[in-house]
Amino acid sequence: MPGLHLTLGMTLLWLGLLVLLPMAAVIARSLGLGPRHFAEVAFSARALAAYRLSFGAALLAAAINAVFGFGIAWVLTRYQFPGKRLASALVDLPFALPTAVAGIALTAIYANTGIIGRPLAAIGIHIAYKPAGVVLALIFIGLPFVVRTVEPVLADLPKDIEEAAATLGASRLAIFARVLLPEVAPALLTGFALAFARGVGEYGSVIFIAGNMPFVSEIAPLLIVTQLEQFDYEGATAIAAVMLAISFAMLAVINFIQARERHWRDGGR
Amino acid sequence: MRAATTEPRAVRALLILIAIGWLALVILLPLFAVFVQAFEKGTGAFVDAILQPDALASIRLTLLTAAIVVPFNCVFGIAAAWAVAKHDFRGRNLLVSLIDLPFSVSPVVAGLMFVLLFGANGWFGPWLMAHGIRIMFAVPAIVIATAFVTFPYVARELIPLMIAQGRAEEEAALTLGANGFQTFWHVTLPNIRWGLLYGVLLTNARAMGEFGAVSVVSGHIRGLTNTMPLHVEVLYNEYNFVGAFAVASLLACLALVTLGAKTLLEWRHRDALAATGH
Amino acid sequence: MTITIDTLVKTFGTSSALNGVSLDIADGAFVALLGPSGSGKTTLLRIIAGLEAADSGHVLFGGEDVTDRAVQDRGIGFVFQHYALFRHMTVAQNIAFGLTVMKRRQRPGKADIAARVEELLGLVQLPGLGERFPSQLSGGQRQRVALARALAREPKILLLDEPFGALDTKVRRELRVALRAIHDRVGLTSIFVTHDREEAFALADKVAILSNGRIEQYGPPSEIERAPASEFVRDFVI
Repeated sequence: MPGLHLTLGMTLLWLGLLVLLPMAAVIARSLGLGPRHFAEVAFSARALAAYRLSFGAALLAAAINAVFGFGIAWVLTRYQFPGKRLASALVDLPFALPTAVAGIALTAIYANTGIIGRPLAAIGIHIAYKPAGVVLALIFIGLPFVVRTVEPVLADLPKDIEEAAATLGASRLAIFARVLLPEVAPALLTGFALAFARGVGEYGSVIFIAGNMPFVSEIAPLLIVTQLEQFDYEGATAIAAVMLAISFAMLAVINFIQARERHWRDGGR
Repeated sequence: MRAATTEPRAVRALLILIAIGWLALVILLPLFAVFVQAFEKGTGAFVDAILQPDALASIRLTLLTAAIVVPFNCVFGIAAAWAVAKHDFRGRNLLVSLIDLPFSVSPVVAGLMFVLLFGANGWFGPWLMAHGIRIMFAVPAIVIATAFVTFPYVARELIPLMIAQGRAEEEAALTLGANGFQTFWHVTLPNIRWGLLYGVLLTNARAMGEFGAVSVVSGHIRGLTNTMPLHVEVLYNEYNFVGAFAVASLLACLALVTLGAKTLLEWRHRDALAATGH
Repeated sequence: MTITIDTLVKTFGTSSALNGVSLDIADGAFVALLGPSGSGKTTLLRIIAGLEAADSGHVLFGGEDVTDRAVQDRGIGFVFQHYALFRHMTVAQNIAFGLTVMKRRQRPGKADIAARVEELLGLVQLPGLGERFPSQLSGGQRQRVALARALAREPKILLLDEPFGALDTKVRRELRVALRAIHDRVGLTSIFVTHDREEAFALADKVAILSNGRIEQYGPPSEIERAPASEFVRDFVI
């Protein structure tokens, strides 16, 4: 096929200038700090608290999304009901809605004056400006990742394996737990990992609702921004390097799950 | 008789109710809130907020950014998809992973990368300053950061689609004497046009809505370097909620149009779209 | 176990799949349901299994009405055209599945299950392959595993939906012989669906020929060949 040199050249040029060179800058700059200084700024008490919040909230949100995202994918692939197409389209809204818009909207709802925040505040539950607010924003951001990875796998599951299990005497619950869930597990895990990875790096939707108190409700990306505003480039770069390393690790994990799933499926039936 | 492969009616109804309830709570309610807040003080206040000079400037800047970024990433996305899907070469899988990379980088980290390149202390900062070229805290940096975060969308949509379509039609065109560009224009492009449109829509939505990366590199200069999402933040932090939500509602409309177009494309041209999850 | 099928009717939407089908199958018989695609033969098999519900009519096993009984409680074995093996389980786990989902009180112990799996692997001539995954087996081997799995709970009735449909000619022949031998040895009542005339006549004691949701003729192969009951049977069989 013609055009390999031209198109590959264009791709590599654009990729190199736009993606690889800037990444190299972060890595080179953080290497330039030296190991001791790097560890000092990348793992300061405040930074550690920020990682803990970013990770913990992303993990919790991804877990909640795994449960409800699976349920939504199940309902969308298996049942017929009025408004199904609308529901399916809504799932993608977090992909299309700018994160800042989501952030202020969630804050308006869950602040103590908001439509849900007020009744919750009356019984002593506060979500906005607390770590719980971070989780809430990440639930919004991550939901479509789970639904959209699980949905095609559920839709493609052959009906006969469920029927086979039923003819062998398995109850509906046993069929779900022992036949369907293992089949969907790799996709569910991938969706979980994607939602988690997105959640760790999320900024726009979180900062409005988080409260942004250092050591309490300050996420790692916000700490980078704060340090940049104080012209602390070293601190910002070191934390960014840690976040990059995490992104790479997550990418490797996701690729691994998908490669295993593909291997399984191609050999499958 | 108990059905073999579906749940009892009551279980089904309950699951549907939970799913719809969750979608309404998590997704529909925030969307609704944007419009309610935007029109809280009436249509007049909404229109006034949109017609503020700073708001109009932010709309102009957002449109300008998208107008530059989308065509660029469209061309490079097509080139990347052509190279990857229609050829075999060593490192192909690595290249695909690299193209996906911006998806997994935090937008704030993306912004920081360009500060380290073009900022006053950056690799190219002093040289740029000496020659009077302004990138940081100006439109060029906003465009570059936006290009970074939207880099994968078109290629991501096209690569699986073009791999699934195979190479036979292109090979046929080549044996009939078409050159490479003619083959692409007359054979490949018609086959991928709906997928391409979809990729462009996603690129556009993300380009207009990007917040984190742009926030780091823009400098937040009112009327000059504030895109719409940044202007939303500024207004919100000034407690001008009607203004913030008015501008936000425009962005929400953009999201709704994108989703509507996507649904329509999936409905009309399901076969011509790649089965990617995003 | 005898199987009695009493005027089954089934429609899908506006098209009718079965128009009042009745059939008596003797204990220990090996019956083929033969017909072109769309004749209703698979629907009939699935209603007997309990995978599908009839609009009206009855199914009786050994004189007992099982029409309203769920597939799980009918005590049948079912073999699918595309094997329907659980790909995340080993061959042994696939075969043991029916035993491991039994209620705790009836469930055999671990050692008993393992012994039963070994016995079944021997029966389908796949000794020693228990630790493989389905993806590591050939098509013929997979169908043998599916057969062993269906037999694990010692059903009295074995139902097979185009069991050889996805296999090539040579493997088909081998598996046919093996199936007939197992049927005779275990003492099953078996019904299999096929669209292949030669296969039905070579394997079955009795053949039911279906067309448009009706049974055109039901009898031993020799009788059908000697005296086709209708124009359709004559065209289809000869």
